[in-house]
Amino acid sequence: MNRMIIYKEWLKTRWALLGVVLTFAAVTFYCFLNLSKVVEIRGAELLWEALVDKDTVLTEILKYLPLAAGVVLAACQFLPEVTHKRLKLTLHLPYPQGRMLLNIALYGLAVLAVIFALQALVSALILKQWVVWELVARILRTMAVWYLAGWAGYLFAAAVCLEPTWRMRAVLLVLAAGFVALLFKSEVPEAYNGFFPVLLLYVVLSVSLLYYGVARFKEGKQD
Amino acid sequence: MKTAGKIFIIASAVLLAAWVLPWIYTLISLKPYSTPFTLYSCTVHDFTSLDRSDGKGFRFIDTKGNVHGDEAQPTFYASVLASKGALPDTIEGRKVTLEEIERNSIIASSDPKDVNRTKAPVYLLMESVPVRLELQDAEEAMVSRKDGIYIYEMASNELLKAKSDSLNAALKALGFTFPARLFAGKPSNRKEYDEGWLVTDSADRLFKLKQVNGLIEIRTFPGADDLHASWLMITEFENRATLAYIVDKNGLLNILKADGTVVPTEVPFDPRKEDLLIVGDMFFYTVKTSTSDGEHFYALRADDFSLVDTLERPYPKDFSLPGIRYTSGSDGWVKPRLRGFRE
Repeated sequence: MNRMIIYKEWLKTRWALLGVVLTFAAVTFYCFLNLSKVVEIRGAELLWEALVDKDTVLTEILKYLPLAAGVVLAACQFLPEVTHKRLKLTLHLPYPQGRMLLNIALYGLAVLAVIFALQALVSALILKQWVVWELVARILRTMAVWYLAGWAGYLFAAAVCLEPTWRMRAVLLVLAAGFVALLFKSEVPEAYNGFFPVLLLYVVLSVSLLYYGVARFKEGKQD
Repeated sequence: MKTAGKIFIIASAVLLAAWVLPWIYTLISLKPYSTPFTLYSCTVHDFTSLDRSDGKGFRFIDTKGNVHGDEAQPTFYASVLASKGALPDTIEGRKVTLEEIERNSIIASSDPKDVNRTKAPVYLLMESVPVRLELQDAEEAMVSRKDGIYIYEMASNELLKAKSDSLNAALKALGFTFPARLFAGKPSNRKEYDEGWLVTDSADRLFKLKQVNGLIEIRTFPGADDLHASWLMITEFENRATLAYIVDKNGLLNILKADGTVVPTEVPFDPRKEDLLIVGDMFFYTVKTSTSDGEHFYALRADDFSLVDTLERPYPKDFSLPGIRYTSGSDGWVKPRLRGFRE
């Protein structure tokens, strides 16, 4: 059954995923093409100076990509369930409802994790050509919060899709906006290092929102 | 799980309200507050504060309420006075010239936001004696690791192994214990000269690393080893009289002079919590430390840094709604902290 669920999610998301992957590839390519031109024209010293003296990690153009990817993926997975009234059918399959919902969400989170990991890996490999590992690690630690925003965006968007009433959707949107604003509040590199585990825990706990929405759907809540 | 979701929503809403509502209240109720520019006067021998409340130009008021003109700050406004032909030729019984006054005028500052942040252990290394005389951008960088300091050529990102090995061997021979703890330097070509980097080792001993003709010159400061520095600032002032300001284990400011001697002062300073502003001339230094509670002024003699006078200026207490804030004006981290009265 797990494989069937994954296959079903794959069918729903494959074109969106292709779009997300191509967008990630294009923007990442653009980002590092720009940096390679800076290195070519003005030398890698400029990258070192910027990373050491300025509040930048040079890859800010990638900042909102994970969040957008999370929202798009969640919409592709959960909107059809709601708009095409498939959720009721999904919940009536001979499989524990909670595990079904968790597997659907884990599919999305895992796919996002793979895309994020690939981007981080490519970024690290390219940056390693120009600067020492200490600076590469600084960039990756800063980018980790952007990836967390991707997961948060995914889970909150999924919760909004599954929620049956507009009033509660509005509440969820306000909470999502607040949390995302917190994740993008600081421009200072490594500003979230100490707080990151707590933020990660919050994102993990936000999975409960999916169950809350489904429970309300089953109770027949409506506007 | 439904209950868990409900608890999650309520908890999130409470946290969001505790963050946003006090912030909105502060935004609405915030009133501008400023304090006058204050310096110790070498002619009045008192702190004088700039007052422009009557809109008639510059006037200075001392702590006794007496009003003075630019002549109360003849060194800070030396150019203005000289342009009017009003620069005194003798101050404090000493003959002075505009050039001498300008060469001995210093300004230094520190902001806790620059101290309280996660920094990369990478330090740009300039050539202190450039071939073309003018300082050039750094071409090499030091990377501080647990077992040594490694020098990289930035253009190629290549480790300069021989140079690094030679530096680490020389440091070890001088008793340097890795990893290095504090680094202080100003690797910029927009200054008169370069003194390199002041570095403390894991035992808090002070060293200076300076690149001269491609080689790293190391200097030790036996007189500063007992300070157990918690903060360093390299000065590189035009008069070359001092090398650095150091905060010792007792939280007091010390002056490291160019000859390597350390002069303690009676100025308490916590670089993690307080702003620092030092404005000095050839006679007196005015040191201002400030927190959100208020400003503390210390007047020091420029020759021996002995304390001459002090002034306290508390800020008014502003009420703000209790709540949570995630950023602070005194550090570069995002983390939850409780807010109550203005901090």
